[in-house]
Amino acid sequence: MIRRILICSAVTALALFSQEPPRTPWGDPDLQGMWPGNMGVPLQRPESQGTRTTLTDAEFAQKQAQAERQAAADERSTATSDSVGIGPPSYWVERGKPTRQTSLIIDPPNGRLPPLTPEEQELRKTARGGKGFPGAWRGEANSYEDLNIYYRCITRGVLGSIIPVIYNNGNEILQAPGLVIIRNEMIHETRVIPLDGRPHLNSSIREYMGDSRGHFEGNTLVIETTNFTDKDAIGSNGAGYPGDPGHHSADMKLTERLTRVGADTLNYEATIDDPKTWTRPWTIRIVLKRDEHYKLLEYACHEGNIAMSDILSGARATEAKPSKDDAKPSKDDAKPAK
Amino acid sequence: MRTKAAILAAGTVIALMPAWAHHAFEAEFDKNKPVTLTGKVTEMEWINPHSWIHIDVANPDGTVTNWMVECGSPNIMLRRGFTKRSLEVGTELTVKGYQAKNGTFRANGSSVTFKDGKRLFVGGSNPDVPDDQK
Repeated sequence: MIRRILICSAVTALALFSQEPPRTPWGDPDLQGMWPGNMGVPLQRPESQGTRTTLTDAEFAQKQAQAERQAAADERSTATSDSVGIGPPSYWVERGKPTRQTSLIIDPPNGRLPPLTPEEQELRKTARGGKGFPGAWRGEANSYEDLNIYYRCITRGVLGSIIPVIYNNGNEILQAPGLVIIRNEMIHETRVIPLDGRPHLNSSIREYMGDSRGHFEGNTLVIETTNFTDKDAIGSNGAGYPGDPGHHSADMKLTERLTRVGADTLNYEATIDDPKTWTRPWTIRIVLKRDEHYKLLEYACHEGNIAMSDILSGARATEAKPSKDDAKPSKDDAKPAK
Repeated sequence: MRTKAAILAAGTVIALMPAWAHHAFEAEFDKNKPVTLTGKVTEMEWINPHSWIHIDVANPDGTVTNWMVECGSPNIMLRRGFTKRSLEVGTELTVKGYQAKNGTFRANGSSVTFKDGKRLFVGGSNPDVPDDQK
């Protein structure tokens, strides 16, 4: 009810929010709702854009034109057209709505990742006996361990679960006295974050999603997360980016700041502080828009992970017939083992 | 030709997108084994990470092979207007895609349309989606 009155005037709403955002019945700033991600902002800013955090009008117009061309290409793609590539079909890709943000990274000021430490550079070369960290698939499939933990349906990690991708970008925030709950649609994470100031877990306990503790600073929810493993990788889908396995150390400290800056706008920022990996901390910003029509649907992953078994068996089949002769289809294997 | 140019431009856009593959398609499917399958739906599996459409495809020699075609996660398909009732058993589809590297009768559905060429997934504007589900 109060929200609807505030929406009447966006400017007034923003001004009011800086003074008096809505509160839960127990007095915490109210961040609740459905905040699905919108993809289309690259992690790193092109060097040509320098320290600009927003696109120029010309750049934005170009981005919008590209989005329109993409939508038109999606519409034209049919089984009778000659345009089919090996990738995902158009109907299961969300392209995102163009925005003016030049990069997710807002600090360092150039919007690019800080340099890796010498130790981390070495580690990325020598990990797994010289094969390097899994990250994006690089052509090897000798074992499930060659595939990253997203392919393995384990997790995308804290950041990988919220950095927008091509589908299933649902994020839901719920609150209860002394708690904030963040649900990420893919791969069905629920973070239950206590606000009561209890200490972190003992450092000998490590979790894929780390161990989070929250508190409010004014109207901003600050979440500090430690006790990570080094098994996830920072990037969309928690698997790094092409050319960058996104590996971080288990000593990484993550500080997230969530602020409702408008009735339907949530500012999400995350600072990655990992001196073993990067020479300085870096910060990303994701602007989230409310969409109460969006429903989180269960993303049960393991049960249907035919890709895992097919990738491994496909690699074995390729090894057995390196001459690229068509392998004879096997009727026995048509159905997955249930 | 205009279509090809548009696709090339679109291809550039795709390349700029951040890591968009849930899994690397090249890992699972063989780009040297393109397939075009026309057949009748026998089953629809609504599962993650990908749904699968099962179709009976008639082979030139008269035999019938049951293929599995990989589709999107149920979540994204529902958001595109596809529902449990959108695809009935017996519906004829044409699939363009690539066969699995391991040689099984599985393919990724790069493009899945009704036999008459109408797109299968067109969101809320799909004329075959019942009105009460639009």
